[in-house]
Amino acid sequence: MAEDFSAKMKRARLVFYAEDVGRIDTILEDFLSASQAKAALLVDKEGHMVTKKGMTKALDSTGLAALVAASFASTREVAKLLGETEFSVLFHQGSSESIHVSLVADRALVVIIFDDRTTIGMVRLHAGQLTKKINAVLEEAAKRKPSEGEKLDGSFEADFEEKMDALFPGSPDSASSNSAGESPAPPAGT
Amino acid sequence: MVQINFAQRRVNCKIVYYGPGRSGKTTNLEKIHENAPGNTTGELVSIATETDRTLYFDFLPLELGKVGGMETKFSLYTVPGQVFYAKTRRLVLQGTDGVVFVADSNPAMMKENLESVEDLVKNLRENGLDIKEIPIVFQWNKRDLAETVPVEEMNAQLNRWNAPSCKSIAIHNEGVFDALKLVAGLVIRKLNREFGRAPAGAQKSAPAQTPPPAPRTAAAPRAQTPPPAPPVAPAASPKPTTAARRRATPPPAPQPTAARPRTAGPQAQVPGTGTTRRPAPAARAPAPPPPPLPPPPPPIEMTEPDSAATPPPARRARRSATQMIQARKEELVSTRPPAPSGPSAAPVGTETERTRPRQVRVRSRGGFPTKVVLISVFVTLGIVALTLAFLVVLKLIPSPL
Repeated sequence: MAEDFSAKMKRARLVFYAEDVGRIDTILEDFLSASQAKAALLVDKEGHMVTKKGMTKALDSTGLAALVAASFASTREVAKLLGETEFSVLFHQGSSESIHVSLVADRALVVIIFDDRTTIGMVRLHAGQLTKKINAVLEEAAKRKPSEGEKLDGSFEADFEEKMDALFPGSPDSASSNSAGESPAPPAGT
Repeated sequence: MVQINFAQRRVNCKIVYYGPGRSGKTTNLEKIHENAPGNTTGELVSIATETDRTLYFDFLPLELGKVGGMETKFSLYTVPGQVFYAKTRRLVLQGTDGVVFVADSNPAMMKENLESVEDLVKNLRENGLDIKEIPIVFQWNKRDLAETVPVEEMNAQLNRWNAPSCKSIAIHNEGVFDALKLVAGLVIRKLNREFGRAPAGAQKSAPAQTPPPAPRTAAAPRAQTPPPAPPVAPAASPKPTTAARRRATPPPAPQPTAARPRTAGPQAQVPGTGTTRRPAPAARAPAPPPPPLPPPPPPIEMTEPDSAATPPPARRARRSATQMIQARKEELVSTRPPAPSGPSAAPVGTETERTRPRQVRVRSRGGFPTKVVLISVFVTLGIVALTLAFLVVLKLIPSPL
């Protein structure tokens, strides 16, 4: 049954509600104060960032989330070549900053950035507890059905189309069938 | 798949640009990055080879701002198109919400287009996705070539699912935003079906984990038309040649004037660190106080114990016992240590505190040291023995023998 739930978690959409993110934020803050790490981020496997805590203002967290997720995915393939299911923990050491990535609930990644104020041993020691706590929150979130109050607004789709038309004016519907692009021209560079 | 964060009022979607090698996938992202208005795009991250062939993926975040009260963001990815990067393409497709298939209109590339479509179907299936259900748009790129396959034929051969399509000349920024708008609209429509609020008076069941498949024909009207001329931005910034490059965000697009000239000439290197136009959105609604958590366990001290600090009582007791055992051992084999030499040494024949061998001290009741008592006893016995012997010799008392 545990394997079925794990498979379900891998496929499940992650929907976060206020209480989930609040609890995760508290867990991350407690971890940072205990381990003396610089920053901690929770990222889903697709590269979307869920939440972050610590010294993240100077950090391109969006790019970091995408790159970490991609890196994790590629090392998972390496693991499969070695006969492992996946590597649940990655660690990259730099000259002053290092990064520790661990898998949570088969669905998300906890990214911990730390420097020489702490040690990898201290980070790993507390990361084990951190992943267990976040695992519990994510499992609860996966099992919970969304309440009626937590839904996208009824005007979401209409607002989206308006926004896209405002940002990128011109649409395929308004174009003529004889496009100037069809006229002979030198080949494209790419 | 789409991540919805009701706490922070955020919706994150992932769109992947797929297609054969050199069909224009990276060019699409470059043009979006250069021409998207305001601060809607972040850094364009490209993991590519020295010859600008995509090695892993290109990534561009596109933030649309508030839509229906939710900060909506699209993460745009491209895959490497070369044949031997098949496994990498599967990884990049993981969790995708929409696909733009960029096809090359060159007749010589039709075979590669077909193989790429089959590869897409296979990789989607391996990721648990169905091409019939996922939002997909076909982009017939390079329509400016001298010889192109007619759109109808490309549709017939590649677009077996009757998905929306549009023409494009990505290098000229034509059709790029049309494809983006088409696929984004499909993704949002699908998301709204699953998580949108039910219309007033209609009952709606709880959203399922897997949303129902969208009817392909519903999106078909927005298709099959050539793109209009989009706004023209300033000349494209030169492409860097490093293996992994991060491009700085360009200035906002000016008013459209003349057609853009093709980019040519040497390519400069963009500084290593780009700037993010827009920071990550802060939490829009105050989160309710979290439920009380159990008190965290006390932190485990990992540092070495301070030698100057007072040791715990248990250790002190063990040391004193050890010391006592050691003292008794030393008493059994004790020898007077040699007198220290030097001016600080005590006079010879005297015992100092440091040279006196350790002894187990037994306190007598009278308070006299044991040594003195023993000596006194032996002396007394000796005197008595001598006296008796003297008396025996003098025959004053009979011999006891």
